[in-house]
Amino acid sequence: MAEVQGGMKPSLPTSGNGGILGSLFPVLPRTVLLIVPVLFVAVLIIGPLSIMAAVSFWTKTGFTMKPDFSLEAYRTFLGGVRLSIFFRSLVVATFATLIMIVIAYPVAFLIARRVRADLVRSVLFLFSVPFLVNYILRTFAWTDILGRSGWVNEVLLWLGVVDAPLDWLLYSQFAVYLGLVTAYMPFMIFPIWLSLAGIDRRYEEASWMLGEGPLRSFWHITLPLSLPGVFAAAIFGFVGAFGEFAVSTVLGGTGYQLLGNSITSALDVINYPLAAAMSTFTVGVMAVLLTLWFRAFDLRIFLAKILD
Amino acid sequence: MTKYSMHDIDRRRFLGAGVAAGSALLAGSLGSRVLAQDGATVTIADIGVGDPGGDWSRFTEATGNQVKLVAIGNSPSAVVNQLLAGGGRKAFDLVNIVGGMQRPLAEADLIQEIDTSRLKNWEKDTYIAEYLAPGTKGFNFIGYEGKTYGVPTILQADSFAYMPDVTGELDSYGAYFDPKFRGYVALEDNYTTAGQKTALYMKKSGLAEISDPADMTPKELATVIDFLIEKKKEGQFRVIWSSFEQAVKLLVNKEVHVLDCWEPMVIAANQQGANVKYASPKEGFLLWAMAAYLVNNPDRSEAQTDAAYELLDFMLGPWYGATITQMRGYITNPQAAPFARQSDLFTADEADHIEEVDNRVKEKFSYGGTWQNRWPTEVDLYEEEWQRFKAA
Repeated sequence: MAEVQGGMKPSLPTSGNGGILGSLFPVLPRTVLLIVPVLFVAVLIIGPLSIMAAVSFWTKTGFTMKPDFSLEAYRTFLGGVRLSIFFRSLVVATFATLIMIVIAYPVAFLIARRVRADLVRSVLFLFSVPFLVNYILRTFAWTDILGRSGWVNEVLLWLGVVDAPLDWLLYSQFAVYLGLVTAYMPFMIFPIWLSLAGIDRRYEEASWMLGEGPLRSFWHITLPLSLPGVFAAAIFGFVGAFGEFAVSTVLGGTGYQLLGNSITSALDVINYPLAAAMSTFTVGVMAVLLTLWFRAFDLRIFLAKILD
Repeated sequence: MTKYSMHDIDRRRFLGAGVAAGSALLAGSLGSRVLAQDGATVTIADIGVGDPGGDWSRFTEATGNQVKLVAIGNSPSAVVNQLLAGGGRKAFDLVNIVGGMQRPLAEADLIQEIDTSRLKNWEKDTYIAEYLAPGTKGFNFIGYEGKTYGVPTILQADSFAYMPDVTGELDSYGAYFDPKFRGYVALEDNYTTAGQKTALYMKKSGLAEISDPADMTPKELATVIDFLIEKKKEGQFRVIWSSFEQAVKLLVNKEVHVLDCWEPMVIAANQQGANVKYASPKEGFLLWAMAAYLVNNPDRSEAQTDAAYELLDFMLGPWYGATITQMRGYITNPQAAPFARQSDLFTADEADHIEEVDNRVKEKFSYGGTWQNRWPTEVDLYEEEWQRFKAA
């Protein structure tokens, strides 16, 4: 099992106690080296989150707010339409993530296994090309492609496939999912590719030599060993889609609301406690989900099960 | 002739927050105001439409002062973030945004009352007395509790755009809800524009009893939102837009045939080849004004305050007014059109255009409608109800 775990890691340079850092800072104890990132996390992440949580209990007073311990913002959030927006965001982000994995995994697999080694970098670079264009502009570009007079409808009409432009291509659920997938799916290819590229091919060869076919070898060997990358990719996709607001604004049509839109709307009327309450609640739910996710997909447990 | 820059695109509320934040950071990092050799530098935060193409030379020639214009978002949160949390009180002398924000800004002590006696062009601006006098609805765009806080730099009356080739002539907000245009109507994502126009329509057409479309009671508001939700579920609306560029594209691409929007979008769409008209609805217009506020900075020197007043006065003046009207299609002050006609700084065509805009908007104001209310009494409820509409 230890060998399998070692084999799944990508062969990247590592630095332990005797690695680069160890040789550069031989006299610095490990705890001192660790304290810098810990402080960074505390100051840049825990600090703002704590302030946000505190503000969520404050009371709005006109244009400002005063320190308090009020649950009013949470009552407004959980007792109104915003809760349904929260659940919609959760559902949309979940399904979008699943769709993205279904697309990203084969792409990453092809890059890892079928693309010539000297071309891999170029192919991976191609997937980062869209990010050279501003994200909002990329999202807006879909309206030219999918609109009633957009390219897709023009072609379909020209081919005689449809008699009238398809309305559901734009300002629809379909458009939102398309926008989310194209925005975040490329982020998911890299970790999956990394995970696949790091798999020791001898395990698959051993499986084949022991009589398993390609599909079963993939199912029992390749897929499990690539799951750390899938797991990381899913987090990238889910978190991005869950906090999204531009895609739903531009492509969603008649007020397609995701949580990000709802928080922005609260900020527009200077309702910081409400925005903070929504954000705090969301961070809490995300923390719970990620904890469950980590527990459910603990690699050691997973590998132990399949190797039994 | 009229050219729209990115600043126009972001006129009211979609100026990128990042741009604004970056500008504020820049302003803060460079020092709030740098004294030039010949005078002070007045820093004005503007949503874009108050920028006369970067040419402040006439102000500098007249006063010896310089102007530094930085971008600011128009949403209440953008303004308060800049003034309260972003160091804007120390960075900016003036903030030029869509008016009607005096109540929250004055209550938070972020702006100062304007001493109109220090503005020699104030009395010459008869539009103030005509449309924005104390005691009228228009005063709510520059004043609060009897005091004047904003200098009106622009006046405008909004309605909606339509494509006469497809829809025929339209003269009612009822077009928003006409089944003939089902799926071809777009509203602005703004309860103080789309919501208020809907309320105006419902009141005038007898669909609901609404005392004041500009400041509805919770019950009236719920009636309007319920109506919008009903229409939304019938598939009446194609999209709820939220940026200038998006709205123009909806017209140019013929994605919709009736668009709740601002007049500059119609001009922009026509420049791109679309045949679009801006309606004169029988229910009236949505009236609004830009206001330049004097930021309350207790550390500001008297000389700096003098320079800020000089800029406010310049913005009430003829050259600035004519230039803004020419560039943006909004009216500014009564001196603008005659100045453009008499001065050799404007061509005859430009002077014609300025005069035409001036007359057209004045005509709209004389017809009336409802003054946009940026900060209604039940503002939180407005926001919550608008969420209900959008999420439905």
